[in-house]
Amino acid sequence: MAHRAGWLVVLIAVAAGGVVAMSVPAAGQAAAPAFTPRRTWDGQPDLQGIWQTANTAAWNIEDHHGELGVPAGRGVVIGGDLPYQPWALARRNEHRVHRRTADPESKCLLPGVPRATYMPFPFRIVQSATQITMFYEYAHATRNIFLNSEHPKGPIEWWMGDSRGRWEGNSLVVDVVHFTDRTWLDRSGNFHSDALHVVERYTPTDATHLMYEARIEDPKVFTRPWTMRMPLYKRQEANMELLEYECALYLLEAELTK
Amino acid sequence: MVVLVVAALAGWLPARPSGQIIYDRGATVRQPRAPAWLREKLNMRPMTTPRTPWGEPDFRGSWGTEEVTSDSIERIEDWLDPATPPTETFIVDTVDGKVPYQPWAAAERTKMRMGLSRGWPGEAGPPMHMDPQSYCVTGIPRITWRDPWLVQQSPGYVHVNIGWGHYYRTIPTDGRRIDLDPSVKLWMGLSRGRWDGDSLVVEVSNLNGKVWFDSYANFHSDRATMTERWTQVRTEQPDGTDRVSIDWSVRVDDPSVFTQPWTMNLPLRRKTPEEIWEHACHEGNERLLEGVKTHGFRWFGGIAPPPADATR
Repeated sequence: MAHRAGWLVVLIAVAAGGVVAMSVPAAGQAAAPAFTPRRTWDGQPDLQGIWQTANTAAWNIEDHHGELGVPAGRGVVIGGDLPYQPWALARRNEHRVHRRTADPESKCLLPGVPRATYMPFPFRIVQSATQITMFYEYAHATRNIFLNSEHPKGPIEWWMGDSRGRWEGNSLVVDVVHFTDRTWLDRSGNFHSDALHVVERYTPTDATHLMYEARIEDPKVFTRPWTMRMPLYKRQEANMELLEYECALYLLEAELTK
Repeated sequence: MVVLVVAALAGWLPARPSGQIIYDRGATVRQPRAPAWLREKLNMRPMTTPRTPWGEPDFRGSWGTEEVTSDSIERIEDWLDPATPPTETFIVDTVDGKVPYQPWAAAERTKMRMGLSRGWPGEAGPPMHMDPQSYCVTGIPRITWRDPWLVQQSPGYVHVNIGWGHYYRTIPTDGRRIDLDPSVKLWMGLSRGRWDGDSLVVEVSNLNGKVWFDSYANFHSDRATMTERWTQVRTEQPDGTDRVSIDWSVRVDDPSVFTQPWTMNLPLRRKTPEEIWEHACHEGNERLLEGVKTHGFRWFGGIAPPPADATR
């Protein structure tokens, strides 16, 4: 009797542990068994709602220690450090020294992709048959992700790039090109060129989590493509809504009234 | 010279405007606004507002006002320059179609107009304020005629997406209360919607009073509230065809600035759907700050109404 109960306890513990472990896969672990999301009225997997990251990627996408005003954090780059070309690593380190004034965020300029995803502000996903819109609270930035369509011909230099989306199973896959070189990847000087090509994946892992991946390819800056991965958490507050962060106007007002 | 440089910086230079239309003065009649819309609504036809799959009135798609050149909410009597023809008023319920300012507020507007320095009539003063739109700002209700709206809907929400300045509005439609503390003041205010039959009624509160109604210094305070009403209507056109438009109106309530509430009313027409592409307004405006400082324009931080008992 005790022997059987013992096995039962072990079985339940394994099953419970398995369920907890599988709900939010950490970087490097095997993919979770498929979660079946609800569908929108257009038949798409429903990713709608307000989402936000809960990590320190906004400050630094690599492993970093803390400093005044900056929490320590693990990197979100799969495989470790960023594979910079030698000249680019030197440039990144130079950026880092001057980051308080050199970071485009310090001038309230648009954050670009993928940085917009992990700014410490929420964003909302709205889906329709022809496009998926990301409404960011930060600077009320928007991304119109057009479905079933091609990138326009370049050369075009947009801060937020041109986004074209498609579904692969339950994952929204977004191909983004046509960038300026004016945005950074975080507050620590990590950067890209106008050759940046981002492929994002938004995969629902349960009703309140997405797994976000962004594959970065930039042959002018990095020696190879690399991928970042992080969870997105659905904001649960009953009265949750996006408010305003009119960054550039706060700056302008301070400048013009001093 | 100062005027030309400033106008060029703000993109107003009329002689070689990019994207503006130079009208044939002989051929163009007064541009239609509210009076023409009221006349058109005399020929309304019955319509059933379509529903979204989840049963809310369906406003999805691209909608926009007709050509709005000067964006003056009051009537413009005569040509201001080759790109700015005379227009009707947006205002329907003051008898004269003018904004019903209290005397102190009318005086403020006159002062601000004199300081616009665009070389238009009445702008003879030294630079005072630039139209906040020059700083890539829009607001309620000015966003209505800024650019076409892409309206998306999800259950319980109407989302307005415009390209200009990558602005958007998120309007809950479940009739929830205005629950944000009045001390919280927003550029775009807080929008709260509810369905009234097939019409969307939107209450806008928590405004910061730093946005103008138009480029003519028409303003309100941070105590203003606004109530919009959106209704789809079908009207018969002169050629016998039907046209569906949004009958859009906004009532402005600001007893500290105006002598009465007043209402603007315009049609939003269906627009050919187009991809909304990036408008990185602030990013392209980096030189503006230098020009503003050089020419002595001051930040418009809103106007505080005088205390009610100012005579004491």
